[in-house]
Amino acid sequence: MQADDLAFFEVLASVMNADPARFRPLGEAYMSAGVVMRGARGDFRARLDFDGLRCEVSPWDGASPCDYWLEGPTAVWEQMFANITGNGRAVGLETVNSLVMLGDDIRLQGRDPMGLDKFSRFNQTLQEFLDGAARLPERVPAS
Amino acid sequence: MTEYPALPEFSPFGAPLDWAWLRGARSEWGVHPKPSARGLTLLDVAVGTYGEVPEHPAKRSMAPRGADVEDATDMRYILNAKTDVWADNVMELYEEAVARQWSATRDIPWGELRELDDDVEHAMCQLCTLLTEVEMIAADLPAKWMWRMNHDFIEAKMFLCTQINDEARHAEVFRKRALANGGGLLKSRPGPTSLLRTIMEAKTYTQATALMHLLGEGLVLDLFRMGELIAPSDVEKRIFRLCMQDEARHVAYGTMHLRYAIEHDPDVAEEVHEALDHGETVLTDFASSPDTTTALAVLLAGGVEHVEDKGFPLQLELNKRQFSSYLARCERAGLSRLDRTVIPLDLLGIDPAAIRGSVAA
Repeated sequence: MQADDLAFFEVLASVMNADPARFRPLGEAYMSAGVVMRGARGDFRARLDFDGLRCEVSPWDGASPCDYWLEGPTAVWEQMFANITGNGRAVGLETVNSLVMLGDDIRLQGRDPMGLDKFSRFNQTLQEFLDGAARLPERVPAS
Repeated sequence: MTEYPALPEFSPFGAPLDWAWLRGARSEWGVHPKPSARGLTLLDVAVGTYGEVPEHPAKRSMAPRGADVEDATDMRYILNAKTDVWADNVMELYEEAVARQWSATRDIPWGELRELDDDVEHAMCQLCTLLTEVEMIAADLPAKWMWRMNHDFIEAKMFLCTQINDEARHAEVFRKRALANGGGLLKSRPGPTSLLRTIMEAKTYTQATALMHLLGEGLVLDLFRMGELIAPSDVEKRIFRLCMQDEARHVAYGTMHLRYAIEHDPDVAEEVHEALDHGETVLTDFASSPDTTTALAVLLAGGVEHVEDKGFPLQLELNKRQFSSYLARCERAGLSRLDRTVIPLDLLGIDPAAIRGSVAA
């Protein structure tokens, strides 16, 4: 399953939506996050709308408002998901917060610092959502 | 309305009875708030007159907003204007805080702590000493002001209660970490405390919140985010990640409170600027205090061996990120500091135009 495919994120959302007990200890989350992958096959964009203990995925044109978006090369995203599937969850410097903090691999962007702060306010919910890749029967291939 | 004509006039002990609450109080009845998907939230019950937060409450009592109030006892509140304490996101933040609580006893995998190199354990303990010292300021400060806030701003007071609880937990978790792995609490010197005193002694609540939420907690938020690089093990990473989520709520309140205050009373801006002029100077002393800088650099370098070639450069990157975020939040609050700040933007490599551009109009 390719990471730069809306179907992949829809499956991650279905993993989250089917298992609210895994997310309940973190609490409800309310945010809209964009994902942008830049690769040889062109840019891929998805929008993740977190609503309590659920997430809905939709195509994103990059123009409609999001609290923030995460943008980076497809290969870096794939490496992150490979780390997740290989370890059961993101470890080391492959958590989404680490990748953003390290600067240039995946960049946290937004038009408003209050939207950007939602990345911090709901960070562990987002990480748990991405860690759902470890629960899929099919692995994301690393570039 | 039912009139209940046959109610007794005296109690079994002969005391006169008053049935005014049953026969028609002058408060709104039958508003029927509808629970949302997450339950019955503060936003859900902010209906009818109960949702109207007055700009200048007529009462100074602890009577609940919306009640039929008689003979209100004056509690001598001094923060009686909505602009003094309010933020438009305060109900949302309260619900978020309640939903995302965690336990420093139960939710940290203390059993996974492993022995660290001596220099790294010392550095972690030094950082925990500092954080145990400074985190409680964000509990003490709202506690100092809350009893002076008009009770009609109950949602703001409730949010600040969650902040106090958060900060107690932060002090708890860093104290526990300092002691839990064979180390202990290390050096405490005057530098950090002078910043804390500046915050506590601010003349107004809005000045205090600018110093604490925007400046102090904003910088600590970025420090927690940097925990991914600072933490020597998954245990500390977990601590920093959970604290980060809490801290971001506090910063969100402070930013939006300042925005609300300045939008409704532009004169407040100069008052806040003056506080931040002084606060930034004191903060520079705090950020450059020898214990903090060296301990952080050792953690970022993974030990003393690479403190110069890795630790200090990463620390500079952290400082750049901290001050950039702070200045962007000031812009968002309607309080541009870019032409006034004492933070050495050139030295840190911060581009003011990039910060202006990062904030939506």
